[in-house]
Amino acid sequence: MNKTFDRYVSVVFLVLGVAIYIYSQTLTVSNVGIAIGPKALPSFLSVILIILSAVNLVVAIRSTTHDKKEEKLEYKKFLIILVSLVLYALLIEPLGYVITTFLFLLIGFQTMEKGKYLQSVIIAAAFAVGIYYFYVEVFLGVLPPLPF
Amino acid sequence: MDALQFLVQGLSVALEPLNLFFAFFGCLIGTLVGVLPGIGPISGVALLIPVTATLTSGLPTEQAATSSIILLAGVYYGAMYGGSTTAILINTPGENSSVCTTLDGYQMAKQGRAGAALAVCAIGSFAAGLIACIGLVFMAVPLAEFALKFSPAGQFSLMILGLCALSSLAGKSQIKAFIMTTLGLILSTVGVDPISGVARLTFGYSELYSGIEFLTMAVGMFALGEVFKTILTNDYATGELIKVGKVMPTRQDLKDSAVPILRGSLLGFFQGLIPGCGATLSSFMAYTVEKKLSKNKANFGKGAIEGVAAPEAANNGAAGGAMIPLLTLGIPGTGTTAVLMGALIMFNITPGPLLFQDHPQVAWGLIASMIVGNFMLLILNLPLVKVFAKVIETPPKYLIPGIVAISVFGVYAVQVSVFNLFLMIGSGLAAYYLAKNDYPIAPLVLSLILGPMIENNLRRAMNLYNGDYSMFVRDPISLIFLMIAVLWVAIPAVMKLRGKKVIVEEGV
Repeated sequence: MNKTFDRYVSVVFLVLGVAIYIYSQTLTVSNVGIAIGPKALPSFLSVILIILSAVNLVVAIRSTTHDKKEEKLEYKKFLIILVSLVLYALLIEPLGYVITTFLFLLIGFQTMEKGKYLQSVIIAAAFAVGIYYFYVEVFLGVLPPLPF
Repeated sequence: MDALQFLVQGLSVALEPLNLFFAFFGCLIGTLVGVLPGIGPISGVALLIPVTATLTSGLPTEQAATSSIILLAGVYYGAMYGGSTTAILINTPGENSSVCTTLDGYQMAKQGRAGAALAVCAIGSFAAGLIACIGLVFMAVPLAEFALKFSPAGQFSLMILGLCALSSLAGKSQIKAFIMTTLGLILSTVGVDPISGVARLTFGYSELYSGIEFLTMAVGMFALGEVFKTILTNDYATGELIKVGKVMPTRQDLKDSAVPILRGSLLGFFQGLIPGCGATLSSFMAYTVEKKLSKNKANFGKGAIEGVAAPEAANNGAAGGAMIPLLTLGIPGTGTTAVLMGALIMFNITPGPLLFQDHPQVAWGLIASMIVGNFMLLILNLPLVKVFAKVIETPPKYLIPGIVAISVFGVYAVQVSVFNLFLMIGSGLAAYYLAKNDYPIAPLVLSLILGPMIENNLRRAMNLYNGDYSMFVRDPISLIFLMIAVLWVAIPAVMKLRGKKVIVEEGV
């Protein structure tokens, strides 16, 4: 169990709770004929969140168990995939579904394990074109088309 | 019998060629989802929602909903079958509820009895699935009719009970689980309030006016979160695959496992009825019970066939049992049923007491298809188990980026918005870090779904009672639910304080 994470996340939730509480008070509505207005539930929930995160914070601070050693994580692979995923989402509309999906898959395959380039290219292309064809041509769905 | 009449009607729906195909497709995908490590029943169901929405787009609403839910439920109970295959052959559970199966299943495989273990799993799953379906047939309508008598206050308290039940058993820390529940409820208030028309917590994003899309969150938190974890921890199935061998179990195997299967099925079914006690918990329970009752306890952990049969039956029984509170009360008790409920709501069909009156086609079609589906799974699993075993060898190199690409496709195809893609990525990241530190994800998604209904019932009740909150304790049914809710939270907490170990539903 990671106590440092618990501390940080409790503080984040605590701040979030306070922010939501303040925000809900700014909702202005007439309450005529309505027993419970739109701000009642968010206000109530934010108070609960504040209480729970405060308790969690206290538990985390008072806990005496030490953090377990971080296991070795594959940050490099993860970051490459995450960045390509963000680019994928950004470019899917300007470049179209087929091109971005093909590129994302190719990068993904090679990041997971290098080699077998031809096989990677074929699978990535088949996936991108196949999904696009079936979804758009057969089921008449909407996906961003090729840019040209 | 009334129930049997409805069942026959349901069968006529389930046996329509399209629905039959959907049930088959769902079971097949479910088995694959169960077999493939790194993708569990929740993410499998979440990922298939957009696919089914596409496949059924031309049909009238009710028919589309029926076919879709038939497919999605097939994925759910199909995954329970498939999970045992990896557990037995490479000692890695394909999903959480098969953890127990590894204990004796892998030992059996090492002794060259993999085929027998797999066959007993399939038969046990089948028996349990069937028992759960029979329970569903006879309990659904009475329960739904009973639930119709609840006042708005009672309905509100029932939902609170559902939330408390799932939260108090999810994860290692109750506080953390309740933090996640509260967060989910807060997220559910995002969007334009349907009664007053005020935009809440939208911060000017017009994409948020209709609320946070459940599908985006479910795919992000379950599918992407799981993928991120797999990449970061390098957690691929690397075990040596054991040859399956002869699939048919011997007469002695069947004799040894018959009673454990029956016990496991019933135990699983009744546990599945209780919100928060999912398949994982009931398979552990069934294993413990068998070990206690067995004459040769020493054999457990060394390849006892009872130790494979009972937990596998229990997790299927639980999966079927969990459908009952979902369909009759509108209370999903597990992460996967929560996602199923979200899918039904997407098709404008609200599970709950009125489901059997308003949409009998959906309810009974689904129940009948589950019976049909269980037969399909048995037929699919016994001869094809060697084929599924091959699927385990799918290189993660292609699998992991593939799951990400399907997530992106699913969310984009349904929402057609880049905003939702980023919401998905963000929630995936959050889910990974939260789940890693024991903040369970299922309560958040569950309360995201139940939130609008809770608020609705609360407001209806308050308008009816002129803002008198004491109605919640004056209405007897509501009071009972609230009291059970308090006990549900308090008992595990007290047990923990007294130093007792509390088993929790891990992972989901």
